[in-house]
Amino acid sequence: MNVQIIGQMAVSGALMGLVYALIAYGFQLTYATSKSINFGQGELVMVSAFFSLTLTNLGLPYWAMIPGGLLFGALMGLIVERAAVRLALEQKSEGWILLTIILGLFFFSSAENIWGRDDRPFPTPISADPIHVLGVDVTRLELSVAVGVIAIMGAIELFKRRTLLGKAFEAVSADRDAAELMGISATRTVMLSYALSGAVAALAGILVSPITTVGPTMASALILKAFSVAVVAGLDSGFGVVLIGMCLGALESLASFYLGSGWREAPGLVLLILALALRPNGVFGKATIRKV
Amino acid sequence: MLHVENLHAGYGASEVLSGASLEVKQGTLVALIGANGAGKTTTMRAISGGLKPSRGRVVLAGQEVQGLDASRIARLGLAHAPEGRKVFGPLSVEDNLLLGAYGRLPRFFGFRTKAQTDLERVYDLFPRLRDRAKQASGTLSGGEQQMLAIGRALMARPKVMLLDEPSMGLAPVIVQEVFRTIRRLKEEGLTLLLVEQFAKSALEVADYAYVMERGRIAVEGTPAELSRNERVIAAYLG
Ligand SMILES: Nc1ncnc2c1ncn2[C@@H]1O[C@H](COP(=O)(O)OP(=O)(O)OP(=O)(O)O)[C@@H](O)[C@H]1O
Ligand SMILES: [Mg+2]
Repeated sequence: MNVQIIGQMAVSGALMGLVYALIAYGFQLTYATSKSINFGQGELVMVSAFFSLTLTNLGLPYWAMIPGGLLFGALMGLIVERAAVRLALEQKSEGWILLTIILGLFFFSSAENIWGRDDRPFPTPISADPIHVLGVDVTRLELSVAVGVIAIMGAIELFKRRTLLGKAFEAVSADRDAAELMGISATRTVMLSYALSGAVAALAGILVSPITTVGPTMASALILKAFSVAVVAGLDSGFGVVLIGMCLGALESLASFYLGSGWREAPGLVLLILALALRPNGVFGKATIRKV
Repeated sequence: MLHVENLHAGYGASEVLSGASLEVKQGTLVALIGANGAGKTTTMRAISGGLKPSRGRVVLAGQEVQGLDASRIARLGLAHAPEGRKVFGPLSVEDNLLLGAYGRLPRFFGFRTKAQTDLERVYDLFPRLRDRAKQASGTLSGGEQQMLAIGRALMARPKVMLLDEPSMGLAPVIVQEVFRTIRRLKEEGLTLLLVEQFAKSALEVADYAYVMERGRIAVEGTPAELSRNERVIAAYLG
């Protein structure tokens, strides 16, 4: 075994793992305010990526396309909240589980109809040539994933800690009824969390598309791993998902290198099965979510 | 200032309040006493909007508020320090206080500066909160949490404040301190509706009082009148 190669594989994989972390972070945002998540989040990643591709094809420069894509993601998040989540939560039912899945299927077939079934390349001005950092080769493209993920998570965490609106977000997460007594609208806060979650999903799509291409099924594997990360890391620790996401990414990369590319999905599934076996209530059991 | 008329409310099919009426005049302290399960907390929740009344009127400073969202009612000038305190445990003491003034502060920047005078006022009232300003409020003692809950409600500069069992679960010394604070707030002109298990102490600070039984007001009067009422003496002051 070559230490150099192991390091190389681990770093590349860990950088990709940040995308799982980012999607899992999107689950955390809505779970915090409403104890609900969008099971169609993968489709949100996918349609936002397609929309961003369309913006690029219309001639929008890369850096102007990003805010457009994020805004679209936020809007889609609001649609999910309005169409699939709000009524169910008002009736204190679990109906949002089925409704978000159905809405995801609807987005999926809409995307197929609008953009077709083919995988398409996603142009980016960021170079895929390797550069040498601390003894390993990474591409600027891979680094851009890391920078994008850390930037948006950092910005949202700063927002939560430094602004009054962000503190209100935390207050609703801690005690929704008490927050209402302070004049904070819980409904609006849940909307905000779905908008942020949608924007985060859109960024995940924009960051990963130049590496994986854009297609209707682009997010199906991603979302499974984001779930694994969320289940293992818990739904309340942003730091946890980053850590677990990077570990999973590194493990996948090593598995596919040493065992063959067919084994790439194995670590994620093993992780998910282990987590669910040790925590049978899974994502939704409050007491079963470990704090990392 | 606060006028409640024929209030009906309940949980699901079971009606808890069946026609409660009460009035809190500006600058007065009104006590609401009654046995466990009489419906005092339910009354407060139906007033502040946590529970939607099925019938009746709630008038706050001349405006009907029944049926509005709790957050709307709060922004119209009603502060409710709920039973069990309900501080935001993971947030710091100061953040809890700032959120108390949420309705009047800028959402993004400059909110701390704008809240400074009110913060100082609460810290002067409860010096222990100043010492613990940066501490997570979930780690405070029960008494400190109660002070925080009252301070947080004060931050809103409310027209009316609802205070539900501030003495619950506290040591006698702390209970005395809480009542001293309540008396002081009343002297500063705050309009208050107070629910208390310690009927005697409540009647000592109140200007007027209501006794609730099974979702209705059974007896009402000034503390002096109630202290002469045999039924009240037997049930609550014995
Ligand atoms: N969330 C709830 N769901 C169902 N029933 C409830 C709920 N909260 C209170 N009740 C019922 O409503 C009735 C009145 O309760 P409430 O809490 O208003 O009484 P209280 O006068 O505040 O009592 P205490 O002095 O114990 O605080 C009780 O019979 C109680 O069991
Ligand atoms: Mg009560």
